[in-house]
Amino acid sequence: MKIVQVKCPSCNQAIMMKEKDKLFYCDKCNVMHIREGGAPEKVDFEIAEFSPKAQGEKVYMPFWRLYTTFIVRSKNVEGGTIFKMSQWLKGGSDSGNMFIYIPAAELDAGTFRKFSTMFTGAAPRYPTRLNFNNVRRLPGTLPKQEAAQLADFVVVTMEAEQPGVLQKLDYSLTVNDTKLVYLPFVMTPQGPMSAL
Amino acid sequence: MSDGISVGLNCPACGGAISMAEGENVVLCQYCSSVLAAEGDQGVHTVAFKNKTLKDAAMGASQHWWTHGLKARDLKTTGKIVESYPIYLPFWKTTTRVAGWVCGYEERRHTDQKGNVTVERIPKEVMVLQDFTFSEIACDPGDLGIRTMKNFMGETTFANFEEIPTFESTTSKDAAATRGLNDSLAKARANAHVPQVTLDTLKAFNKGLTLIYYPVWVVRYNYRDRMYMDTVDGVTGQVLSGRAPGDPLFQSLAMTGGTSVGGLIAAAGIIYAQSASDMRIALGAVAVGAIILFLTYRFFRHGSEIIQGEFKEKKSIASALKQVQQVGKALEGLR
Repeated sequence: MKIVQVKCPSCNQAIMMKEKDKLFYCDKCNVMHIREGGAPEKVDFEIAEFSPKAQGEKVYMPFWRLYTTFIVRSKNVEGGTIFKMSQWLKGGSDSGNMFIYIPAAELDAGTFRKFSTMFTGAAPRYPTRLNFNNVRRLPGTLPKQEAAQLADFVVVTMEAEQPGVLQKLDYSLTVNDTKLVYLPFVMTPQGPMSAL
Repeated sequence: MSDGISVGLNCPACGGAISMAEGENVVLCQYCSSVLAAEGDQGVHTVAFKNKTLKDAAMGASQHWWTHGLKARDLKTTGKIVESYPIYLPFWKTTTRVAGWVCGYEERRHTDQKGNVTVERIPKEVMVLQDFTFSEIACDPGDLGIRTMKNFMGETTFANFEEIPTFESTTSKDAAATRGLNDSLAKARANAHVPQVTLDTLKAFNKGLTLIYYPVWVVRYNYRDRMYMDTVDGVTGQVLSGRAPGDPLFQSLAMTGGTSVGGLIAAAGIIYAQSASDMRIALGAVAVGAIILFLTYRFFRHGSEIIQGEFKEKKSIASALKQVQQVGKALEGLR
């Protein structure tokens, strides 16, 4: 196993961090990169602005935002209906395009489920900013490839949360584009709360 | 995912000592704050557990093991340890995250007083988001009776490598990773408890693959001119596997008691069934008697040697119960 010092692929400056994070941010040239296959890969990212009303300990949580095409071939719900699908999909009916948000930070199962379904069900709207303004970033632990594979987990989770018991869902899901999005949160005794 | 396994390295920027936990490929240098990444082998780590069990302790654990279970009663006084020595055995250990849904239904059969059977279908949907651990030995274990790791906690070091013989890894890491993924998926499906599956979206993600060298004491001993062997965990000091002589008295007692109890239950059932005019009671009693007889026979047949551990030919309780189920099915067919 070879150990190398991580440097920015754009300006070659050594990356320094206080927390172990798989999303490497160069504050000199504002470039984010990952090293999933060993070689550095620049990542397209954006940072959402905090709400002016946000109070408390502020943090940025990373999400992989996947632009996907979802096609439902057949479905069956015992004691209910699949009725939310058409609300998320751009293009109507059971097939079309949608954004899926996958938390890239290490979260417990319940929090992962909550934020992924919350933002996928109602895509957040926000003004963006160019830097983190010294606000702490929660470390990213989920690789981009794994996020793509988890996309259908989020969709099926949202369906399973609806009335009735899901029995069959024959579908295909294609990830067209991936972007890293840092969303603002405030830490509370109940856990992180959205601060958009 | 904290399991105490980490490997020592040096920072390429400042030379400071760093340690990287299993499954990680990024580490921070605590001396110069540099971010460091593992390259080249996709984060496969090799670690060795420190042998913490001394020779006397390993022999003591073996002798203590002799006194438990249905082993020969004079084993403690007659058995004599011939040799004991430590070895390093290689194991693959994988950590896998499984995420997805298992949907389907369970069928419950209800029989009313008139004998009419109704089937109730209960729909089920179960979410899985869980990490699973899998381990398997990375070489031919021979007759050691060890195939998986029982303990994942302990101090890691390569300091003992010079003095302890090491079995090299001879199995493929890719095959181990695949088996780890399949094993985790199977465990996740089993944990979901959905008997009839109509939708399965489970996906497995490899979170770490480690080659672990684990210290094991091999203790060979003699009993009435026959050689036996057991193994002792070099980290926990517990007996992992072994063969020991059984006791003819226990075999005889089991045979006598088992046949008596089995026969009495069957006979009592038949007599009661005649008075109650219900043949189902007689058949049930005969089945219970037959099961007791079968288990008695198995103990009599295999009780001359007591086996503990993961031996290929080991006659486990699970396999015995499987055979009992088959006997039960055959009896059901006769009815």
